[in-house]
Amino acid sequence: MPMASLSRWTMSYFAAALAFLLAAEALIIAGVGYPGAGLLEPATLIVVHVVAIGWLSLAMAGALLQFVPVLVARPLAFPGLALPALLALLSGLLLLCTGFASLAGWIDWPVALMPLAAVTLLAGFLLLGLMLVATLLSARPVTLFARFVLVGLACLLATVLSGATFAAILSGSGGWLGEIALLPDGLPFHALLGFGGWLGLIAFGVSYRLLVMFMMAPEPPAGQVRLVLIFGSLGLGLALAGLLAPLTGLEIGAGFSVAPLAALALAGAFYGRDILALYRARRRKALEINMLASIPAFAALGIGLPLLPVATAAGAPDAWLASLTFLLAFGWLGGLTLAQLMKIVSFMTWLETYAPRLGRGPAPRVGDLVAMPRAGLWFTLYYAGVALGTVALAAGVATAFQYAMLPALFGTAGIAGELMRVRRLSEIKAEQRPPFHECPRLLLARAEERRQPHVDNRTAASPRA
Amino acid sequence: MSTTEPLQVRELDVRPVLRAGEEPFQAIMDAVSTLEPGQSLRLIAPFRPVPLFSVMANRGFAASDRALGNGDWEVTFSPVAIAQDASEGLAIGSSPSAISWGPPIEELDLRDLDPPEPMVRILEALEDLQAGDVLFALLAREPVFLFPELAKREHEWAGNFDEAGATYRLLVRHGGGSAH
Repeated sequence: MPMASLSRWTMSYFAAALAFLLAAEALIIAGVGYPGAGLLEPATLIVVHVVAIGWLSLAMAGALLQFVPVLVARPLAFPGLALPALLALLSGLLLLCTGFASLAGWIDWPVALMPLAAVTLLAGFLLLGLMLVATLLSARPVTLFARFVLVGLACLLATVLSGATFAAILSGSGGWLGEIALLPDGLPFHALLGFGGWLGLIAFGVSYRLLVMFMMAPEPPAGQVRLVLIFGSLGLGLALAGLLAPLTGLEIGAGFSVAPLAALALAGAFYGRDILALYRARRRKALEINMLASIPAFAALGIGLPLLPVATAAGAPDAWLASLTFLLAFGWLGGLTLAQLMKIVSFMTWLETYAPRLGRGPAPRVGDLVAMPRAGLWFTLYYAGVALGTVALAAGVATAFQYAMLPALFGTAGIAGELMRVRRLSEIKAEQRPPFHECPRLLLARAEERRQPHVDNRTAASPRA
Repeated sequence: MSTTEPLQVRELDVRPVLRAGEEPFQAIMDAVSTLEPGQSLRLIAPFRPVPLFSVMANRGFAASDRALGNGDWEVTFSPVAIAQDASEGLAIGSSPSAISWGPPIEELDLRDLDPPEPMVRILEALEDLQAGDVLFALLAREPVFLFPELAKREHEWAGNFDEAGATYRLLVRHGGGSAH
């Protein structure tokens, strides 16, 4: 049945994700990780994984749990796994950070925590993948959108498995790998599959559908969208080949990572053309905050993605690669996620609160839940910090990078505060708020229990019910 | 959903009416009008009621009959399953009785509204309708968040995309659930 209901735990995923973003920004301000430490040192890896798993992956997971059922018009499969998956991902990430901290010598815990962290993270992502894949495949035919998500989830699996292997090596229990040198040669491909495949390609696929919906734009031609999927998959396939090459004994040159990056940049170019066309052809002329705040994110993608393969091919210094990667992670993926969270959280909160009341009394519009223009100010702060941080990293000025993250931290905290105010209906006039006990809760949607309070007043249940 | 549960077949024996010398047609039509959506009617008559077959076909019922032996006949009129003919391809969850709904008394073109405005308009329009009234709406996408709300309010619906896949056509039949 093409029914979609509210995903019960999505708000908890979002809250955890925002907490990790704030933590990552605070760590950078405190000087943890690159450029104070090397790119591959444990301190940097803590920050990278808090951003990649804690912030971006949890936000992506929460959004997919809500929108995959909507976009394929099927109920979410195994919804009971959403909470166990979240708990596994949270504990896995904390274990991983503890493991890195041991490697860095900050604490004296056994490094055997690393494989445990890997297994816990694998379990969390497998539960998540099971829910999403089963939901996607329950709708036939498998749509182009579903293919983006399926390819992205395959990349996630490759990322997690390679990460688990690295964890085994780092903890000294990787002897079974023999002479195969997966580290550090596999690291760029591990990062590419995670950022480019799981986070990037799915962001491509999902944004096509959401932008069409949010801006009332005509659906882009399927042939063009397919090009993005084909070149994206090609790039990710090359990244996987690069990751697996040491296992087959094949010698790939150090510059091999240029090939997957170039294919991904091509996919990004086709994607950018479509997104530009969507903005131009939109029928809803006034842009809402989520679409306005997405523009700097798309700009970050347009700058960062084409330059990354060029810089890699030219053998640019670490500082440039770090700067471009930061721009893509914080500017594009992070900015896009923050911007769309504004819309997703207000839409879900509106639906939870007002759907049962529609037609039976006054209801505000979805946009009324968001405090404007204050929310815009937070985004300005956030993007200003990201822009300054990108420049500071490229210039190799460590202190400037730390200070640059201050406005980003304030902006993020402001956005998180606005999202909490959306959940609390703070912008809504008292007479349009439901009674207190029916107000949305901060972290948990009233998904299943929405039924009870409103089937009241019927003298007798209908015989069909 | 409520309509997918098997419904008991309603039985009407018109032999006593005919024995009393009365005309059974009105009794049959009254029985038909009180059928639940999807419910079948089993008619028992002292002859094979051929003229009734076309009358019932127009109302969306298919007839299957069998002789009971002593000259009596039993005819079962079942609502035609939607998927069998013209309406093939209705979205899963669509009411199977939609083919027998009357013409819509209200039509809404909501294709230019962004979500959730179409849902707001449809639910508002339904509040002003009576039980059995049918509403027709054109939408730009499948209203997946509307369907649970329709089910909760005991309205029935049937819908699908047009051939081009660009417009979603939705019929909603007011289920009689009253407003607060």
